[in-house]
Amino acid sequence: MNRIEKIISALEETANHPAKAVKASMKETGKKAVGCFPYYTPDEIIYAAGLLPVGLWGGQTDIKLADKYLQSFCCSIMRINVEQGMKGMYDFLSAVIIPAYCDTLKCICDNWHVAVPQTYLIPMVYPQHRKIAAGVAYLIDEYKRVQKELETIAGKKITEKDLEDSIALYEDYRETMRHFTAIVSRYSKTLNAKTRHLIIKAAYFMDKRLYAIKIKELMEELKRLPEEKLDGIKVVVTGILAETDALLDAFVQNKIVFVADDLAHESRQFRTSVRSEGTALERLAYRIADHDGCSLLYDEEKKHGQLLIDLVRENHADGVVVCMMKFCNPEEFDYPIYKKELEVAGIPMLYLEIEQKMDSAEQIRTRIQSFAEMIK
Amino acid sequence: MFLGIDIGSSSSKAVIINAQLKILGKAVFNTGAGTQGPEKAVGAAFREAGISGEKIKFSVVTGYGRMTYDKADKQITEITCHARGAAHMIPSARTVIDIGGQDAKVIRLDKDGKVENFVMNEKCAAGTGRFLEVMARILDCSIGNLSSLSENASEEIIISNTCTVFAESEVISQLSSGAKRENVAQGAHKAVAKRVAGLGSRIGLAPDVVMTGGVALNKGVVAALEKETGQKITVVENPQIIGAIGAALYAWETASKLS
Ligand code: SF4
Repeated sequence: MNRIEKIISALEETANHPAKAVKASMKETGKKAVGCFPYYTPDEIIYAAGLLPVGLWGGQTDIKLADKYLQSFCCSIMRINVEQGMKGMYDFLSAVIIPAYCDTLKCICDNWHVAVPQTYLIPMVYPQHRKIAAGVAYLIDEYKRVQKELETIAGKKITEKDLEDSIALYEDYRETMRHFTAIVSRYSKTLNAKTRHLIIKAAYFMDKRLYAIKIKELMEELKRLPEEKLDGIKVVVTGILAETDALLDAFVQNKIVFVADDLAHESRQFRTSVRSEGTALERLAYRIADHDGCSLLYDEEKKHGQLLIDLVRENHADGVVVCMMKFCNPEEFDYPIYKKELEVAGIPMLYLEIEQKMDSAEQIRTRIQSFAEMIK
Repeated sequence: MFLGIDIGSSSSKAVIINAQLKILGKAVFNTGAGTQGPEKAVGAAFREAGISGEKIKFSVVTGYGRMTYDKADKQITEITCHARGAAHMIPSARTVIDIGGQDAKVIRLDKDGKVENFVMNEKCAAGTGRFLEVMARILDCSIGNLSSLSENASEEIIISNTCTVFAESEVISQLSSGAKRENVAQGAHKAVAKRVAGLGSRIGLAPDVVMTGGVALNKGVVAALEKETGQKITVVENPQIIGAIGAALYAWETASKLS
């Protein structure tokens, strides 16, 4: 195995075995871990407290217990998260933060104390009007409340310096990831759709400082390689997340390369920076105010469609793949608006309804292959 | 000679064409993926064409069972093949509605007959041939007779459940409360048409609208679809083998590019 293969395979191993990876990170850093439900939890504050933020984005667990709290028309990520909580799979976490963006998340916040009493819950509510002064002030207050809770868990006070250092580290991680996603089209075989996904996913289960070092190392090594000729189809992928393995394998088999993404699980996490002025918490709150093109954050101007069109044009993509998480209201409400804009712009689009656990990927495979045949 | 094979969930089709794109042999067997159907269809097409396997320069397999059939030179999806077959048969086609045994698709074509966009039903059997099979069984008639049964309908019946399993019990209770079989048959056609029209509205139906796939043989469904969509629908000749014709055309095209 050469150096590149070694780095990639270690990151893939991390992404494929989250619990094992998180426990290893806890051991390595001596930190306690805090689970972060999607989306936009203040990981910088968790990190500043000397704790390890861990992403909880579902998994492959069969659903049995969670049916007691979430109906079958709730999204699979959240049904699986509740199932995993109820099965005790999060017992090693010191707490979970659940932000209430959608009805399903709100419902989980209500039920968590009864469903998973052993895992301490820190609920959060983000402002709908995130861009106005009152919205920003409200969010800062929410952050202060969360900060206090985290200080109790960590047994230490978080100073402004701790927060600034943590923000600097996260900014470095975000910038690194933007560079990383930008080089995918130059190394489209090594960084195929599946590998790219797993590399990005690994960040959720590692200390961000160590993770960013690994990604920089990987990019350095890649630079030494000659560029790989891209002979497939280039797409921009949007949605909550692009999983399962069978789905990603179908993209790889049909030589479909993700030249850019707009996934909540991937680029939406790192495409927006904090502002350079203000207190640490102000800078964090303004990052939420400045972040656009995400169905979870209310946007009066509906900029999502234009953002996708820009991504397609900047990356010379052949089309957009929509990975629609089944039963996700925020994403479903957003879809008709950007669909129309993409149609007017003449951009081909593939709509896939996905669940985190899919028994049969046959139909999805046919759609992906047909899309590839249509573009060729 | 060029061979196209279409392995669906409930039937297998094979078509042999020559370099002038003339159909020399064709066959349909009513058993699909995972059975002897594909072999039988290919064998029968060879017999009709009066040739043996060595004469085939290139072959393409399509359909639900394409991934597990390893005797063809290439596999292409049924969406691409149905579009190709339909555009070949009716060059003015801009929309293809294909209702097969377990899925339904609406395909939009550009003026060169190339796929421009497509939609496919989700996993369930609503709006597919399977739904009609279940209805035919409850009505105690063959699938082939469902259409003629519905011709004598006197009253409109609505089957409100789209789920095949729920629709089955809905229909049983309608029959037991005295509904006429003819009316129920027509209701079943309407239910399929509604589902497929809904699917089509996601990408729009541009004329000429052409229908392919086994269900196109059912006049009741075609009439119900025309009513639901407000569009004239042309049923292509031999609708069941259009996917296989498309596959054979791709076999010819690929071989011509290679030589
Ligand atoms: S935003 Fe969508 S995917 Fe996320 S938790 Fe809510 S419903 Fe589920």
